[in-house]
Amino acid sequence: MFDVSFDKLVPEYVKRFEPYIPSKPDLELMKLYGCDLLYRLNNNENPFGPPPAAQEILRRFNPPRAAIYPSGDSYYLRHKLASKHGLDPEQFLIGNGANEVIAFVIKAFCQEGDNIVTADKTFSVYEWVAQFSGFEARLVPLKDFAFDKQGMLDQINERTKILFVCNPNNPTGTYWDEIKLRRFLNVIANRQIVVLDEAYFEFVEQADYPDGIKLLHEYPNLVVFRTFSKMYGLAGLRIGYLVGNLEVVDVIRRTCVVYSVNIVGQEAALLALDDEGHIQRTRNLVRAEKAYLKQELERLGLEIQIGEGCYIMVKLPMSDTLAYRKLMGHGVMVRSMTGFRYPNWIRVSINTHEAMEAFVDALSKILS
Amino acid sequence: MKEENIKFSLRTRLGAGFTRIATSFAEESAKAFGMAQPEALKLTLACEEIFMYLSKVGQDRETVEIEMMDGGYYVQSTFLFKTHHFNPRAFNLTAAVNLDDKSSLEEMGLLIASRTVDRFHITEGAQQSVGVVLIKEKSYPELTELGVPEIEPMNTYKVKTSDPNTLKLFIRLLLAYYPGHLYPTGFRFPGKVLDMASSGEYGVQLALDEQGRIGGGLIWRRIGSKAVESFGPYIFNQPPDSKMAQDLTDAIIGKVAKTEAIGLISRYSTPELPRGYFEPLGSIDIFQTDGTVSSLPIYYRQLLEDTGCQVWAHPGLKEFLQAEYSRLFFAREIRLTRYEGEQRSPYSVFVPQFDRSNRQVTLRAIWDGADAADNLSRHVAVLRSENVRNIFFEIDLSASWQANLTETLLGKGFRPRLILPYGGEADVVIFQFEETADSHV
Repeated sequence: MFDVSFDKLVPEYVKRFEPYIPSKPDLELMKLYGCDLLYRLNNNENPFGPPPAAQEILRRFNPPRAAIYPSGDSYYLRHKLASKHGLDPEQFLIGNGANEVIAFVIKAFCQEGDNIVTADKTFSVYEWVAQFSGFEARLVPLKDFAFDKQGMLDQINERTKILFVCNPNNPTGTYWDEIKLRRFLNVIANRQIVVLDEAYFEFVEQADYPDGIKLLHEYPNLVVFRTFSKMYGLAGLRIGYLVGNLEVVDVIRRTCVVYSVNIVGQEAALLALDDEGHIQRTRNLVRAEKAYLKQELERLGLEIQIGEGCYIMVKLPMSDTLAYRKLMGHGVMVRSMTGFRYPNWIRVSINTHEAMEAFVDALSKILS
Repeated sequence: MKEENIKFSLRTRLGAGFTRIATSFAEESAKAFGMAQPEALKLTLACEEIFMYLSKVGQDRETVEIEMMDGGYYVQSTFLFKTHHFNPRAFNLTAAVNLDDKSSLEEMGLLIASRTVDRFHITEGAQQSVGVVLIKEKSYPELTELGVPEIEPMNTYKVKTSDPNTLKLFIRLLLAYYPGHLYPTGFRFPGKVLDMASSGEYGVQLALDEQGRIGGGLIWRRIGSKAVESFGPYIFNQPPDSKMAQDLTDAIIGKVAKTEAIGLISRYSTPELPRGYFEPLGSIDIFQTDGTVSSLPIYYRQLLEDTGCQVWAHPGLKEFLQAEYSRLFFAREIRLTRYEGEQRSPYSVFVPQFDRSNRQVTLRAIWDGADAADNLSRHVAVLRSENVRNIFFEIDLSASWQANLTETLLGKGFRPRLILPYGGEADVVIFQFEETADSHV
């Protein structure tokens, strides 16, 4: 403990960064909190799991194939995505979850002294990756639960390289419509990279919600993120992707780690893309259970924020982290929002009706 | 984000012939860090005593590393060394020198050093390495004039980080508007608060109107590696329906929510503490000078989802812990521990932290020893003789040797009052000495 030489090796920006400690495995948490059953309503997972064809891939996986390296750049999946969207396969980069592609983009465009701009209450990984890589994250407060277009533009300076827009926003569910997004992109005028994170794209049914991929040919500085973790139920296999202009993706590819996406994930994702029925089933469930939660939470007199995506936010008359512990005692795990800078709010993932009833029941008990 | 402190380090061989090198290094470093001559000399004296002691008990050709650090409002001197003979008992408040005892005389230097600085602690490292850390604070004038501007209720305000001059005015307002038990004694020294804020030790958020007038504020600081302590919110002449206290609390939670801090502790909460933000942990009794007893509530807010942890506990504390963890909904695996005849260092060291305005002291064990029970009795006797009526003892349940002190504490009239979740490396239990327990001492 007294040898200071190791400490001298660590960059200052790494010393300042605090590690993220993920939750313990469910079994450990259940043991600690003394519950026999645990409803996971904290990570926006799809209660249906992956589409049936993707599940079949998992069942049929021949174990000796685990010894073989996967395609280093997810060749077939890139071609499938390209065909689906009418683009060039070289416009796609597949990552070990969308988290990995965030790192690819930041590493590709930022150098010492540069900054990124995003919101203060959004998916945290943009901010984290920038900070532990030594770059400033300029955080703009949300306005009425939504990304503040002008606030973000005001934060741009000569060292701004990337603007991250989460659309729809996690955790508030708000989104920029196509008009607003275009106005934003027009002002940026290709001076910076704009990342449009569409992790929850497939959940949105609003007519004015923009499809970022369709805007790529007009805005060469636009990079779109999508994931197989949410709608396609492949969170456990970690697979997501980015798509952008050929020239931009060629730069990002230089910082891209190849062979990081496993063989099962690639094959399951390939088949998941074909299943429109899975998307419809999931949308139906999310729509119905949001309506149920809205009714029940209003009955309890609670403020709620329901937007797009497979989650809602609830404001509680108590500390959200205390509510987390109390709900865990009832076998319900939600996401406390203090870490999102939303004190006393919780985010609840939409799940089966049984799980939603369990949540409402547990919440009623801890509030009574 | 806290900036890294400036540090100088020196590695030198032990021995009387090297003393000047060590003392010059300490003195010149302290001066370079802006410490005034009297305090710099006191710290130098403490360093000299430690160096001479180590030179006496150390072995031939042994070395020591001395690190001097600028803490903003203090200078810290750390001695890192390996030793087979280090006896820290002289660091106890109750230590005295026996002129007929050679080993006691050897320890006189440690005693002088501990009395010359404001704070110290001792750490044990691998391979019999030891660190002695001495902290001397710079001197600041106490605020005596409380002339403050009149504060009007505000319709609009923004919560902002304070600039130095506004912070000093805020402190003056705070002292004028709130009684002494609602803020730490250190707030009486605005220059110190300013330096602590500049060095990143204190964070401050103020509610300011468009003209820059102050409506209220909230201060916080890190305690240990896992907790943040907040002071306030302090609100000046604002209407009862003002959301200022809540906005200030939201702001500080936003500031600390993405740090390594797990919990936010409020020991100096005001009536304006917003409802629903904090959990009541319990209270401690404060004996006032007029003989009355007031109950001081302590509040807590967890910043992260609690994934549970393991704590060490003596069987004598198990029932208390189980009841408290159940009441507070904390998932803990309690591991029982007790002394079972294993070898211990002969002498323990307890460090007091005084709050003289409240005649209050909190003891913490920094070195385990077989004399813990006698040492505790001596401490209680000395403190009571100095009319300190509010005596607390904190143990950190991350360390089994601290949990083992429970038996001693219970036997000497201390009673567990509450748990500070993550108040140390793990949860901390606060024991309070029962005033009526004379027979135990």
